[in-house]
Parts: sequence; C-alpha cells; structure tokens
Amino acid sequence: MRARLWLELAGFAVLTAIVAGLPRYVSDFRARELAIVGMYFIALLGLSILTGYSGQISLGHGAFMAIGGYTTAVLSIDGVYGHQIRDLWTIPIAGVIAGMAGLLVGVPALRLSGLYLALITFGIAVSFPQLPKKFDHFLGGTTGKILNLAEPPFGLRTTTNNWIYYLTWGIALVLLLAAWLLVRGKAGRALKAIRDSEVAAASSGINLATYKTLAFGISAFYAGVAGSLYAIANAYVNPDVFPIILSVYLVVGLAVGGLDSLVGLIAGAGLIYFLQNHADTVARWINHLPALNLDPKQPGIPSMIFGAVLIVVMLLLPTGAGGLLRRVFGPLTSRLYTRS
Amino acid sequence: MGARVLFVCGCIAALAVTSAGARPVVTPGVSADEIQLGSSVPLSGEAAIAGNVARGIEAYFKYVNDKGGVFGRKIAYTYLDDGYDPGRAVNNTIRLVQQEQVLAVFSSLGTSNNLAVRKLLNDAKVPQLYVSSGATTFGRDYKKYPWTIGYIPPYSEEGELYARYVVKNVKKPKIAVLYQNDDYGRDLLGGLKRGLGSNAKSLVASVGYDPTSADVQPQVTQLKASKANVLMIFAFGKFSLQAFNAVSRLAWKPQIFVNDVSSASALMAIVPQNAAKGSISIVFGKDPAAPLWRNDKGIKLFQSILKKYGSSINARDLKDGYFTAGMATAYTMVDTLKRAGRNPTRQSVMNAASHLNEKGNPFVLPGIVLHTTPSSRFPLTQVRLQRWSNNAWHPFGKLISAKP
Repeated sequence: MRARLWLELAGFAVLTAIVAGLPRYVSDFRARELAIVGMYFIALLGLSILTGYSGQISLGHGAFMAIGGYTTAVLSIDGVYGHQIRDLWTIPIAGVIAGMAGLLVGVPALRLSGLYLALITFGIAVSFPQLPKKFDHFLGGTTGKILNLAEPPFGLRTTTNNWIYYLTWGIALVLLLAAWLLVRGKAGRALKAIRDSEVAAASSGINLATYKTLAFGISAFYAGVAGSLYAIANAYVNPDVFPIILSVYLVVGLAVGGLDSLVGLIAGAGLIYFLQNHADTVARWINHLPALNLDPKQPGIPSMIFGAVLIVVMLLLPTGAGGLLRRVFGPLTSRLYTRS
Repeated sequence: MGARVLFVCGCIAALAVTSAGARPVVTPGVSADEIQLGSSVPLSGEAAIAGNVARGIEAYFKYVNDKGGVFGRKIAYTYLDDGYDPGRAVNNTIRLVQQEQVLAVFSSLGTSNNLAVRKLLNDAKVPQLYVSSGATTFGRDYKKYPWTIGYIPPYSEEGELYARYVVKNVKKPKIAVLYQNDDYGRDLLGGLKRGLGSNAKSLVASVGYDPTSADVQPQVTQLKASKANVLMIFAFGKFSLQAFNAVSRLAWKPQIFVNDVSSASALMAIVPQNAAKGSISIVFGKDPAAPLWRNDKGIKLFQSILKKYGSSINARDLKDGYFTAGMATAYTMVDTLKRAGRNPTRQSVMNAASHLNEKGNPFVLPGIVLHTTPSSRFPLTQVRLQRWSNNAWHPFGKLISAKP
C-alpha cells in the first residue's frame, strides 16, 4: 500500500515538473492553448468525481462553467456596489457560487438516476444560455460582456499567456491533489459504493443523500473554477462562449480520459481542445492517406473529423487513457503492492 | 503521512509552478518578403454563406501576389472559422495576433464578433481594419478605439435612408419592423426612427427576434396583425429567408425593405417571388448576379480572378456577391498597404486607413469614392437604391450620401 502511495506521489512530482518547465519549450501562444487544456482538465476532474466515482451522469456541466464565467465577468466589471474585484480573487467566488448551484441541482437529482438525471442536467445546459438574454442589462445579452485583459499581478514579469498558463495549471494541480485525496479516502469509497449499488451502499450505513448532493456540489465547484478561468483567458463572455455542446464535449473528454482516472483526464482535455481548434490540422494529416482529399475550409469537415477521430479513439481505447495507463503501470504497481 | 500534509505539499508545488520563469515578449512585424493579414469569419453555422467574403479576399490577394505583391512583399492571408460565434472570434483573433503574428486583423465579420475583440485589439495596438459590419460604433467611436475602422455604410444611416424614402414615396405609411435583437438590428431600427422624425407615428409595430432562435414566423405573424403596409426586414442569413417565406405564407402584401447585408441575390432568388418582388434595398458594391453589370469590366475582372485563383469555385460562386464584396475590401486593403509606405508598421497602416481617398475601386458602383479622415472613419458612404424584379436587383436613382 505504502509503495503505491509513493509511486503516485512520484507521479505527481513528475507532473508538476513537466507543468512548470513546459512553457520554456513552447511558444507564447501554445502556452495559452495549454492553459485552456488545463481549464478543461479542471472541469473534467469535477465531472469525474460526479460521474466516474458517484455514477451520476451530468450533461449540464457547461452550465456550471457558464455560472463561473459570468460570476467572474460581473464581479470584475460591475463589481459589488461599484467596487470592482480583481479577476484573480473572483475565481474562488465563482467556484463557490457554481458549487451552490450544483448543490441545488443535486437535491432533485437524488430522486432520479441514469437516463432521467442526464435529461434533467441536459435541460439545465439548454436553458442556462437564455438567462443572460433575459437579464441583458445585467448579464450583457447576446452581445456579451467584455472583461479587461488579464495581466500578471504582483509585478511579475511575464506575458499574459504565461501568467494564465501558470495560474491555470497551479490551480489544476491543487485541485487534482484535492480530488485525489477525496477519492482515496472515506468519501471516495462511499461514492464508489453508491456507484456500484445504491442499495448495498445504503445498507452499509452510507448516507446516500449527503454523498450524492455533495458530489454534485464539488463537481460544480470545479466546473465553476474552470469557467472563471476561461472567462479571464478570453476576456469575454456571452452565451455562445458556453454553448450546449460544451457539456457534451466534457462528457466526451471524460470518456476519452477514462471515467475514474484523474491523470488520464489530461488526455481527454487535450483531445477536446485539439479537435475543436485544430481539426484542420488533422484534415491535412488525413490527406496523406491515399485517395483522400478533404478541404479543411469546407463547412462541416472539422465536425466530421471530430466525430471520426472520436470513434477511432474509443475503438482503440475503450477504457480511455486512464485504462491504458493502468495497463502499462498495472503490473508494476501490483508487484510493489504484493511486496510491501 | 496525513492527508493534510500532502495537501500542503501540493499547494507549495503549485505555488512554485505559478511563480516560475518569464520569457521575453515577441514583437510581430513585417518580414522581408511577406505581410501577414488575418480575419475571423463564419465558414460554418447559420451565417456560413457570408464566409465567401474571405474566400474572395484570398483570391484577390493571390492575384496581387502574382503581379508582384505590394512593394515586393507577398500578402499572406489567414482566415479562421468562428461559426458566427463571438467567443470563437475572440479565440481566433488572439490566435491571429499571437500565433500568426498578423500586421492587422482585417475584414472580420459580424457586429458582436467585432465588438468582442475591439477592446483587446486596441489594448494591443493591433489595427482592426475594415470591419465587415456596418455598426455605427466602429466608425464613430474612434476616440476611444483609435485602432478600429469600419468599411460599409453605417447601419443607422441605412435605416435613415429607408425612412426618408418611405416618407417621400409611400402614401399613409404604416411601418412594421422585424429586427435582429442585438446591436446590429437595433442600430438599423434606431436609424429608421431618427429618419422618421416627426412621422414617428407611422412606425406601427417593431418586433425583435433572438439571433439564436429557430424561426421568425411568429414575429412576422405578429407584425402582420398591425395592418402595416410597409415591412422592414432587418435580419440576417436564414432569418431573412424565413421572413420572406412567412410573408408569402401569410399572403401579406406589404412594400418590403430588406437591409443590405441580408439582400444577397443568391438569397433573394430562392425566396417566394410573390413576396420578394418589388422589395427595395440599398447597394454600393457591384452585384455579379445583376444583369446591369453583365459586361462590366470590374465584374469581368472579378470572374477571371475568381476562376484562376479561387479554391474549389463553382459556377454559382461567380454570381455570388459575397465574393465581390470580399474583393472590394481586399482592393482597399492593398491600396492602404501601398499608402502605408515601403516599410509598413501598425501605426503607418492605421494612418493610411484613416487617410483614404480611393477612386475607381472596380468592385463598387461607378462614381463611389472611398474617403476617410482621422475624424471621419466611414470609408463607404455613397449608395444607390435598388429594386428586386424579374429575379434580379435593379439599381435606380442617383448616388446618395449615407454619411453620418
């Protein structure tokens, strides 16, 4: 058991080192792209706690990201009673507000499961974008709200993109650790028990209501933080920044990363960013195959490639990147496990 | 090894990450043999058809490059798809500025999309040139946003022109307005109201639709109930199409005015002709589908450039006004780069764009002069009216001013 713990800690240290060093080797713009991957990663961590561990499906996490993003926009532009809040400090507030919204959703979710829960959460994703349109004086309507461009604080001499990169990945690592501590402890065991059988979990003394609602709240908190960072990075929010399809992408990222593999989610986050923004690059790669000539500028081609790549990935890795990691490192950890 | 200790370790690690090293900021410029320009346009989504503007620009730049470029430099043009979504336009624009390192962002499409990036481009002192939107603010608010300039006639003036025409030519006008409920539609509506002036009472109904809604039939039904005899369609893309369909289905016979950016011949030709016939709009670019220009030199040039330099061009594209609109802007852009001197900088390009005096752009109506000064930043301010009949637009009347 000890050995496995150390292995995981070593893995975390390696990850930290990679994250800290990477911007030295990539362009300023790539740092921004990696930061956005980090934001998806944070949202996926939350979704993994909810779906991967407690077995509740949410097709509405884009809406929690939107709540986070709008919280940051409102607090940093309009402020509270005219006092604007620095974008950095709006991040935890955005997380808490999204988390509270998550708790609220978690309550009715207690009575529903599986497909029905998925539908309810999807309803949230569909209806949320209407709110900013309804309250357009406050939330900017379809025109949206324009934030100030993020600048490194405390006189740090770095570019905006590097600052956003380090900020995002710094937060992501803390939240990764927090999620890891949560799922390896008592709460994690309770959540897994609920996922595997609610009846069995309840009969062994687990309070279903508490844990299920809590999972919703925590995962919405993660999504809110991600949305807040996204708003800061883009310096702009409108309903289309958090479209309905975002919620679906998040579920896609979760499946690709592996439902209950926290680190594997980085791959899921990377894939959903890459396919959304670089499908044209993939089209150019595919064009090297014989008898294919896709014009990446033609409408519909990027979405088609997204779908095709997704099918291939899921065929090759049915358990996601997490499953692959386990297959590679599994023999190693189990041997260590038996020795200790 | 308590959980808390672990957590603290993690926080320290994360802090270390956060405060790690800095890298120098790169300054973009113009290389010895290339000038980088870029735009964000819809190639997918409900406004995808308007993305042909960028394809027209691309073809024209290739033509110019083939003839030696501008002062020996080739123009490298990158256009990215935003699906008419301002959020993606922000992403694209940041990519154009930081990754592609463009000299200027040029002819990006859409009011909200350009509004969303205006502040960040001005903060970064990157020219936002010849915005593909007639929102009045792009030309008017140059004091706050000195790096932004519009191109097409301002929407508010367009609305005002329609109002003046109605007051003069329609007996006992009762006007109904269908408008897109965002800055774009409201700009047109505002101009119309101003143009009506003391005749404000003749505006009997105005109904907005949300740009993400599915169909505007309910709004048109509501407008018909006002018993208006004039209908203004201030819409875009599929919504104008739906509006004409609804008018036809409801057997309503108002005098229709349709604003410039939703009056493409390609669109007008596929809507029910019993509704479309007699519609009025403004025009400033040569429409390759209009019979009037069949033997025009500019349109012939346009078609030969598109055939030779366009990518995957079909016969329909040769009659598509979006391509011509793109070439008209590209022509002005090349003109601007020439004015900006042998070694253009962002400042000199902006300076050139605000000192335009361009005559003879082959892709706009004869007689139009594109003129700007630092305090008058509306390049195109002369238009004619045109009427739809026999499946084509027919310009009528003289050039009139749409200068604010």
